[in-house]
Amino acid sequence: MKPMKNILRIFATVVIGLLLAQNVAFAQEEEVTEKPKERPARAAFESGLLFDGATTTLQPSKTLEMVIQHRFGSVENGITDLYGIWAPSNIRMGLNYSILDNLMVGIGATKFNKMQDIQLKYNVLQQTRSNKIPVTISVYEVIGIDGSADSKFGNNYKFTNRLSYFTQILISRRFNDKISLQVAPSFTHYNSTDSLVDHDRFAISLAGRYKFSPQSSLIISGDFPLQIQGISEYRKDVNDEQDLPPVANICIGLEVATSTHAFHVYLGSSQGIIPQENILYNKNKFFKGNIILGLNITRLWNF
Amino acid sequence: MKNSLKLLSIVLAALAFVTLNLAMTQKANEPWVIPAKYKAMKSTIKAGDPSINTVGKELYNQHCRSCHGTKGLGDGPKAKNLKTSTGDFSSKAFQDQADGEIYYQSFVGRDEMPNFEKKIADEGDRWAVVYYMRAMKK
Repeated sequence: MKPMKNILRIFATVVIGLLLAQNVAFAQEEEVTEKPKERPARAAFESGLLFDGATTTLQPSKTLEMVIQHRFGSVENGITDLYGIWAPSNIRMGLNYSILDNLMVGIGATKFNKMQDIQLKYNVLQQTRSNKIPVTISVYEVIGIDGSADSKFGNNYKFTNRLSYFTQILISRRFNDKISLQVAPSFTHYNSTDSLVDHDRFAISLAGRYKFSPQSSLIISGDFPLQIQGISEYRKDVNDEQDLPPVANICIGLEVATSTHAFHVYLGSSQGIIPQENILYNKNKFFKGNIILGLNITRLWNF
Repeated sequence: MKNSLKLLSIVLAALAFVTLNLAMTQKANEPWVIPAKYKAMKSTIKAGDPSINTVGKELYNQHCRSCHGTKGLGDGPKAKNLKTSTGDFSSKAFQDQADGEIYYQSFVGRDEMPNFEKKIADEGDRWAVVYYMRAMKK
């Protein structure tokens, strides 16, 4: 399985390298020909965050963004735990900073698994109003550091066991003032996983927005983990429900965006918050009633 | 001794009340000092451009409405907490200004009026907001 892992790492590195090189090539072309400046399209999404995933949207340089993401427990137990509000909840607090107009770095801490994360988002290509460039493309990376006790990682503990990686290419298009869509293939890798859980998984995420008033939008997303037998370490005919592959994380909700804030109130299925957790570990099925109430708040400061 | 303490408490409470009220009274706006280059600015879009009622309206509602109000009357929910008046966009005094003067006040700003050059980065979008405010004329 190791050669396959290395091939996947090389593949991810080459894709990111090519995208960065393409950006440089565009810049050089502009310098030589001095064409009239293309007007960039307005951002496809109001915020760089959509539920617990990322969008291609980046804030202008020298903008600090505070993020609070909250997920209650499952609504399944009904009134007993007030539809999940009294159940154990997961929360993440994060800070993102835009170093450049097209480069953001972030850090965060999540309650479940005492997870810390480092994030990076780089905008490679910007959709233009003339449609000469029809989509916006960004590269998004999340490195997770599990803060659980050493014993969780078995007898041969090493610090690197705590690390997990999520690499995603975000491709969005703002179709008009109301409708934006995004498709985002991703690759998740955990250095150490629970037994019968794969270390690697490809996934595809879809997201959409329908803006129905100047400040409010209906938002929806789905993260679909792909079961590729070629990279799976386990047989697919396992019987135990818990050992089955992860399922889609579906979210639907309302977004209200002001000049400095974005609020999300939504129903989702996964209780994890950072994307690699949702891709590798989610067993909650949205359409079987494993639904969780979630809230997000972002706040921006410009410097 | 007790009476003196009571008297002191009353005086302090009265002082706090007066100070708080004075602080909450909104000051009239000082005249804007607008650089000549802004005064002479010309819009990059024309009056009647379709973006005024789409982009202009949307950006106004997102960034301006909370202080300036839906119709620009200065009656947004945050307006009362400001030290200075937010003005009235429907008034003759506001509408008589040159486009560039409205542009400077709206996007460069000063004091409590924040700078919006980063949040509304596109020049055409800024002018759509200016023309949207022009449409608030009485």
